Amino acid sequence: MHRTAPYILLIVLALLQIFLFNNLAISTYFSPLVYLIFLVMLPLETSGIAMLALGLITGMMMDYTMGTAGINTFSTLFVAFFRRNLISLFANREDLRDEGIPSPARMGVLLFWSYAIAMVLLHHTIFFVMESLSWAHFGRTLLRILLSSAGTLCALYLTEQLFTPKLSKHA
Amino acid sequence: MRKLIEFIRSTYVAVLFVLLELIALNYYAHSTAYTEARLVARSNQVVGGLQHAVSEVRLFFGLGRRNQALTARIAELEELIAHYEEAATEKRLKATNKSLGASKWRMMAAAVVSNTVGKQHNYIVLNRGRMDNVYGGMAVTTPEGAIAGYVIDCTERYAVAVSILNTAFRASGSIEGSNYYGSIHWEGRSSRFVTLSELPKYANPTPGQRVVTTGFEPYFPQGMLIGTVEEARLDEVGTSYTVKVRLAADLQSMSDLVLIDNLDQLELEDLSRSEAIRELEF
Repeated sequence: MHRTAPYILLIVLALLQIFLFNNLAISTYFSPLVYLIFLVMLPLETSGIAMLALGLITGMMMDYTMGTAGINTFSTLFVAFFRRNLISLFANREDLRDEGIPSPARMGVLLFWSYAIAMVLLHHTIFFVMESLSWAHFGRTLLRILLSSAGTLCALYLTEQLFTPKLSKHA
Repeated sequence: MRKLIEFIRSTYVAVLFVLLELIALNYYAHSTAYTEARLVARSNQVVGGLQHAVSEVRLFFGLGRRNQALTARIAELEELIAHYEEAATEKRLKATNKSLGASKWRMMAAAVVSNTVGKQHNYIVLNRGRMDNVYGGMAVTTPEGAIAGYVIDCTERYAVAVSILNTAFRASGSIEGSNYYGSIHWEGRSSRFVTLSELPKYANPTPGQRVVTTGFEPYFPQGMLIGTVEEARLDEVGTSYTVKVRLAADLQSMSDLVLIDNLDQLELEDLSRSEAIRELEF
């Protein structure tokens, strides 16, 4: 259960992204990329090469279905590669020994959310800047990044509420 | 040697990362609206079935509203027919009718399988493909006759259209009733407005005026509604207007669309590639 949970999550998130969020027509400024939650929730002990491979798979899958040539792959690989560095940016050495799926219960509320917000912001920034491909309307791109990140983070919060209570009991 | 292996082992993840990023970047740099549409068309073959089922459910709940729209449209067309029938009794029209010949426009109804408005490059997937004689370059309009985009690629059963809400979309538009024209494009901001730029100052647009297609592109018939003038701004030099156009088509909630086929298009393309023209270019 504990090992396979993130992969079940990937399937659910991919389906949500493809069939719900990609078709969601609320505003140009709001297009959350919820598939990123999968990478945020991967167990901390996941090796570098496995992170890279999973980042590549998710990125390519999303590029394929969203018709964005390479943008998803680029941004997803980027955060997958630097995930460990992002966590150590906020954590002390002792906190880092922990294994298992990242959660507020395991890592502490402050550390978990600093890590999650940094991850989502970094990913969305790369994605939307590459998508608009100009600094001319940076204010507008910034708004898209912030609103969409907020959407993704809300989805992450809900996922945490749904999944982690069960997982921490088993772990 | 052992040190070399040790070195490779310690850095191969980083090297692989840089390599993959370069490949992704290279792919992105070489992408065009066409390759993106091709991706959408290919992935639609995989997810299209489910996407279709979802859109079917959505369509069901919109049936009442669509029925109303259809009835209104029927009434409108009946009025037109009555008008023509009346005129047809006059001999004069009978004579001109004969010389008109067959229409070069062929219309076909299609349902939306998926449609985005939130991205910078938005595409519409339709449930008509090569099997229904759909090909790249056909116009996509709403049943009310407002333009929504044009087909760029198709598979056997589906077609992908560049939405008017795609920063790569280009068309020319003019104020209804005048000969001045400018170019229509989307700024990537609101899904309700497009921009008509480089409109000569003599066009003198006023809010509320209708903006229509010019017929310069082979895929849009002349005089199709794009939207209405929301506001117009003269540029610093005072030579041309930039007009904010409120779209007539509601891109956020589209369920049925009309595909327009220009039967002369292939002939026109052949003509533009003719020997005589090519010689002139050299």
